[in-house]
Amino acid sequence: MDAATLTYDTLRFGEFEDFPETAEPVWILGREFSALTEKDDILSDVSSRLWFTYRKNFPPIGGTGPTSDTGWGCMLRCGQMILGEALVCRHLGRDWRWVKGQKQREEYYSILNAFIDKKDSYYSIHQIAQMGVGEGKSIGQWYGPNTVAQVLKKLSVFDTWSRLAVHVAMDNTVVIEEIKRLCMPWLDFVGAACADTGLELNGCLEGACALAEEETALWRPLVLLIPLRLGLSDINEAYIETLKQCFMLPQSLGVIGGKPNSAHYFIGFVGEELIYLDPHTTQAAVEPCEDGQVPDDTYHCQHPPCRMHICELDPSIAVGFFCRTEDDFDDWCLRIRKLSCSKEGLPMFELVDSQPSHLINTDVLNLTPDFSDSDRLERFFDSEDEEFEILSL
Amino acid sequence: MPPLEKSQHTKAFKLRKSFATRKQEVAVIRSKFPTKIPVIIERYTREKYLPPLDKTKFLVPQELSLSQFVTIIRNRMSLMPSQAFYLLISNNGLASMSLTMAQVYKDHRDDDGFLYMTYASQEMFGDTPECLAKVERSAT
Repeated sequence: MDAATLTYDTLRFGEFEDFPETAEPVWILGREFSALTEKDDILSDVSSRLWFTYRKNFPPIGGTGPTSDTGWGCMLRCGQMILGEALVCRHLGRDWRWVKGQKQREEYYSILNAFIDKKDSYYSIHQIAQMGVGEGKSIGQWYGPNTVAQVLKKLSVFDTWSRLAVHVAMDNTVVIEEIKRLCMPWLDFVGAACADTGLELNGCLEGACALAEEETALWRPLVLLIPLRLGLSDINEAYIETLKQCFMLPQSLGVIGGKPNSAHYFIGFVGEELIYLDPHTTQAAVEPCEDGQVPDDTYHCQHPPCRMHICELDPSIAVGFFCRTEDDFDDWCLRIRKLSCSKEGLPMFELVDSQPSHLINTDVLNLTPDFSDSDRLERFFDSEDEEFEILSL
Repeated sequence: MPPLEKSQHTKAFKLRKSFATRKQEVAVIRSKFPTKIPVIIERYTREKYLPPLDKTKFLVPQELSLSQFVTIIRNRMSLMPSQAFYLLISNNGLASMSLTMAQVYKDHRDDDGFLYMTYASQEMFGDTPECLAKVERSAT
């Protein structure tokens, strides 16, 4: 037993609790299991996910920075896990299984190499921490779900192997048109197109032609991340059913979030408990072999996954989905629409066809304080300690 | 009397004024501006990243969408589009951004007649230094 496992077992959790024997369905990333008859399948599915944890003794970030992310990197690791799951779905498929000690497909090692703790891996802790500077986070600072989502979106541009379209839906609103433009930039969208789109389209068309044989020429695989806040200090219980529904969608990439101060990667639920992978174990950094293979044991969680009551969830989360094709995305939209019509639970985000016009042309929205109104108002509120600010259309 | 601090109230609006005063205030303002919604917007007390607003009380056109209202607030705080900003209605839920202020008001107005909103970004996640020290010690 190595030091890392020892630390984890003895310090934080003691013995890992076995998966509960319950008739309630177990949902993991869009797949349903029975805890009574399919326990091995559950554990095999869980151990097939990429498990990114704190690491130590990696090359210093930025040349002179930290060589370990223990204590600060948990949300960055969760970001790696949700994107890792997207890459698994993209290159290996949701049904792919990891088997300990078995040689895997070449794509698997390419995925793993994208996350190795060194400066030139696409999504390494080094890249994420340094890209975070642009989001106002210095190296070693804590991230929120939105921070890591924004950083992953920027980093994905350089991953020409995966050609992912990473979209971060802001203001709890998913705009279908925006996503279709992102995944099919070569299509001519009429309507909101402004004069300068001509240039942009030319550039995108070249890219499309270069990849004409590939399916990604039709639709860049979509990673949709939706950062949310489902309450102030605690999660609003009206969202709990809707949150569970997210794990039941076939497009589910799970949820990044956590308990106060500890980030977790939530992959499913059973009953009222969320199932998650926990990055809070410090393992030694791994050096890839010269042939590109990676000793991969420590990148898979081989014990029963952690569970916590859903009410313990911190309200700040980001929900993730993967849509490999346009059909997958249309199917997702259909399912979300159906869910928002059902009476179970409050929708966590809104799905709309197109961008509200005031966001396309910001001049339309020119709501400054209305001074004629203010003058009128002051006469009535001379003695008030605070005035209304009046907005007019 | 010293001039009243205009921004940065430490006490929530509801705690600064009695129910009767608030109700009266709404009655007066609604009679003057029947098509505008009286909104109280306050920063979440534990918010660390978003700036305070210089105003708490707004009169908002009822046909304005929540999305437009959020855009106004975001612009006023000079937020980047990638920065997280959430408006929680009556301290607990997010509303559909396409709803109009009148619709939100109808469903969520307080008994005093105001519509209360709290804004917050997202929490950040990391271990406490104490925990960090423990893990490091036992790992070596």
